[in-house]
Amino acid sequence: MARITAGVATSHVPALGATIDHGKTHEPYWEKIFSGYEWTREWEKGEKPDVVILVYNDHASAFDMNIIPTFAIGCAERYKSADEGWGPRPVPDVIGHADLAWHIAQSCILDEFDMTIINQMDVDHGLTVPLSMMFGQPEAWPVKVVPLAVNVVTYPPPTGNRCYALGEAIARAVTSYPEDLNVQIWGTGGMSHQLQGPRAGLINKAWDTRFLDDLTADPQRLRHIPHIEYLRETGSEGIEMVMWLIMRGALGDKVKELHRHYHVPASNTAIGHIVLEPTP
Amino acid sequence: MTAENPKQDIHEYLAELEDIPGTRVFTAQRARKGYHLNQFCQSLMKEENRQEFRKDERAYMDKWDMTEAQKQALLDRDYNRAIDEGGNVYFLSKLFFTDGKSFLQAVGTMTGMSPEDYQAMMVAGGRSPDGVRSIREGK
Repeated sequence: MARITAGVATSHVPALGATIDHGKTHEPYWEKIFSGYEWTREWEKGEKPDVVILVYNDHASAFDMNIIPTFAIGCAERYKSADEGWGPRPVPDVIGHADLAWHIAQSCILDEFDMTIINQMDVDHGLTVPLSMMFGQPEAWPVKVVPLAVNVVTYPPPTGNRCYALGEAIARAVTSYPEDLNVQIWGTGGMSHQLQGPRAGLINKAWDTRFLDDLTADPQRLRHIPHIEYLRETGSEGIEMVMWLIMRGALGDKVKELHRHYHVPASNTAIGHIVLEPTP
Repeated sequence: MTAENPKQDIHEYLAELEDIPGTRVFTAQRARKGYHLNQFCQSLMKEENRQEFRKDERAYMDKWDMTEAQKQALLDRDYNRAIDEGGNVYFLSKLFFTDGKSFLQAVGTMTGMSPEDYQAMMVAGGRSPDGVRSIREGK
């Protein structure tokens, strides 16, 4: 039987990918960010997950203004790195787990989550940067990936509560998959940042810290944070944190925090990273 | 489990989104206004389109059903105006990258600060939310 063994969250700032691709991770500005991921890189070598369900948002790459799915699950065999305007990132193709992905899609639909099924798409920095942060620059990614793209660009995005509940449904889907698989779920994006207008550059460390604390201490509070609070307190792009709640919802009632890293800034953004383990 | 969520009134929800200083939330209204502008930006994901755009920006943009104000905002690289015209930053980022600019460089131009001052503000911990949470309540 497949099982979800851990949840990982991380920001997915595009500049982190560029820094890795250009070999600049040891520059002082970037080193302060990357050093906080060394623990996780070692831990992942021991954990050896078979599959990562990778919750992210597409940044106007695979989905333009013609089709805006709220929850889209990638059921393809493989995904190429998207050309976001400076050429595709030089990373390996992302290999899907089509069978598990279709199983999750079917299970979630019967569980009343109306998923959009994607059989062909390119994946942008939202998905490839987290893989690079956790696994560096391998010849091939050491895991298969089920991409789960969430609309957090065109309003309204899904509520935090809906995201959390989807996570719970994904957990039910995974545990009903017959093959013995070690599955992790990652929530990506955030933390506080605003990429537009005169208010750009907004960071709220106190709010972010409480969010990180409550992933363990009080996840039921987090699922009811309204969109307007993310916007006011964490900047217009801080709304990405609803995606962390899909990850959290999939881990069950109680979790143990194994690792945390928080740093300001990476480009315009507060970097947040946490590793959680479900506990009985 | 507390699966129940109080249903939000759509009118109150949308009104609140307009109450944040210096921020344009990408609502349906903006998405409709900016449809062609954003689709133009997304076309820059193809190298052949970037080349054609660089050769003659105006001529390439004339192929898109944008208003004059939208085209001018983009030609001026005035991203606040582009957002007022319905642009979304993730679509606009295809233009940043076509120009060889990072998010940090392009986003900073919207604040009225110099690139150096903006970068210094970020390194010092970013902009505080104090005073820029709500227009109505001035806090």
